[in-house]
Amino acid sequence: MPLRSPLHEIHIELGAKFTVFAGYEMPLQYTSIRDEHLNVRKNVGLFDVSHMGNVIIEGEDAARLLSLATLEDANRIEKNKGQYTAILREDGTIIDDIIFLHLPDEKYALIPNAGRSEVVTNWLNDVAEKNNLDAKAEDVSREYVILAIQGPKSRDLLRKIIDVDIENMPLFGCDYAKVSGVDSIVSRTGYTGELGFELQITPPENAKKVFHDILDVGKEFNIKPIGLGARDTLRLEKCFLLAGNEFEGGRTPLEAGLSWAINWDHDFIGKDALLKQKEKGNYERLTCLECIDKGIPRHGYAVEKNGKIVGRVSSGNISPCLNKGIALAYVKPEYREVGSILEISVRDKKIRAKVVKPPFVSKDWAKENS
Amino acid sequence: MGEIRMSENIPEDLKYTDTHEWVKIKDEKIVVVGITDHAQKELTDIVFVELPAVGKEVKKGEEMCIVESIKSVSEIYAPVSGKITAVNKELEDAPEKINNSPYEEGWLVEIEIANKDELNSLLDADAYKKLVSK
Repeated sequence: MPLRSPLHEIHIELGAKFTVFAGYEMPLQYTSIRDEHLNVRKNVGLFDVSHMGNVIIEGEDAARLLSLATLEDANRIEKNKGQYTAILREDGTIIDDIIFLHLPDEKYALIPNAGRSEVVTNWLNDVAEKNNLDAKAEDVSREYVILAIQGPKSRDLLRKIIDVDIENMPLFGCDYAKVSGVDSIVSRTGYTGELGFELQITPPENAKKVFHDILDVGKEFNIKPIGLGARDTLRLEKCFLLAGNEFEGGRTPLEAGLSWAINWDHDFIGKDALLKQKEKGNYERLTCLECIDKGIPRHGYAVEKNGKIVGRVSSGNISPCLNKGIALAYVKPEYREVGSILEISVRDKKIRAKVVKPPFVSKDWAKENS
Repeated sequence: MGEIRMSENIPEDLKYTDTHEWVKIKDEKIVVVGITDHAQKELTDIVFVELPAVGKEVKKGEEMCIVESIKSVSEIYAPVSGKITAVNKELEDAPEKINNSPYEEGWLVEIEIANKDELNSLLDADAYKKLVSK
């Protein structure tokens, strides 16, 4: 039996179709993936993302543990701030990409991917033990509901039901807050590329009221509940990574296009391997492909040049904003220059696709298409 | 799958397959084929259709076209054996017609039937209704 969100019954009442993702049965869509997608770009959407993990790190050396175990020097991240980063194995491959939040009371709240919280928690506790650090990670995933409110109108909506100042909350800012009178962690984070916030609510029962309130108050902003289908196309248009797809088979942050997230000025697990890979060069890198011909690239399809396989699609779909096939693909370095034309093998056909710069959909898309 | 909503449309005058294609007998030789309202509702957001070549011979039960929604790639099976005599080219630019009008504008292909007996093996509206309400 797959696990379910504490809000499962609410999703049924809202007419959701479900899908099983990383061991969780979650809403795939409520009405239409396309409509939900466009509503997040233009208005606002509410997501239940309780399949994501929650790990709390406490202890004198919590920052040292995070610095050692991630690409970021956590000492640099002040209270009320968060960071997107990744946890690596010694060989430089990614165990998981995460967000950690430095909460006002010194604790850190980590959000691992669905089904990864146990692995991440055990890894962090092993690292702490081996390095004699006074820090402990605790997997509290089942004790939290995570809601995401995403879209250009998300702040106007959330402002009405939250008791802290979110006007000036920067990207990756975080705080404790009451939302609809319920205790929550709020952060300005998300997976859609839009203005947005995420709420971590415990105990899970409390989240039901918040979910209903957001939909109620959100009516004037044309809110819709959004399923995992649109969550996937929204993140793909922004070239955000999906762990199960983009890290499959073991990928380093250099390969996955996360060079920007590597803070080289500190020591971390996997750093030596990354330095070696960087020096050696010639590694496949994640590449953005926009289809010229009709057709939809999907996970696993081959990328070719002159009949030779030069890469493979890790994530692909149609872009609801652009109405074109788009893909993230691992491509050999000599073939991934922006503007190059490659071919994606779709069943017995080849469709042409152009290498483009990320993201596929710019932040001004909604303004330009209103 | 299997949930039937009150609004589901299953026209009495069509034949059906258990893989959710519909068949309309156009004349002595030719049938029109598409996917049912139930099927389009399950798929939602149809964004791409790959049609067969006109003239292609198809066998009952074999893959005949591909319909892709945002979430999945689905094979559409030939409900009868025969030759493809027409395809709905408009779907190449407007695949959403299958969502909006599964029995009219969203038709997929016309097939010249090779063996009329095969029509007897198709489901009538009542039988199909039972199938999707299971």
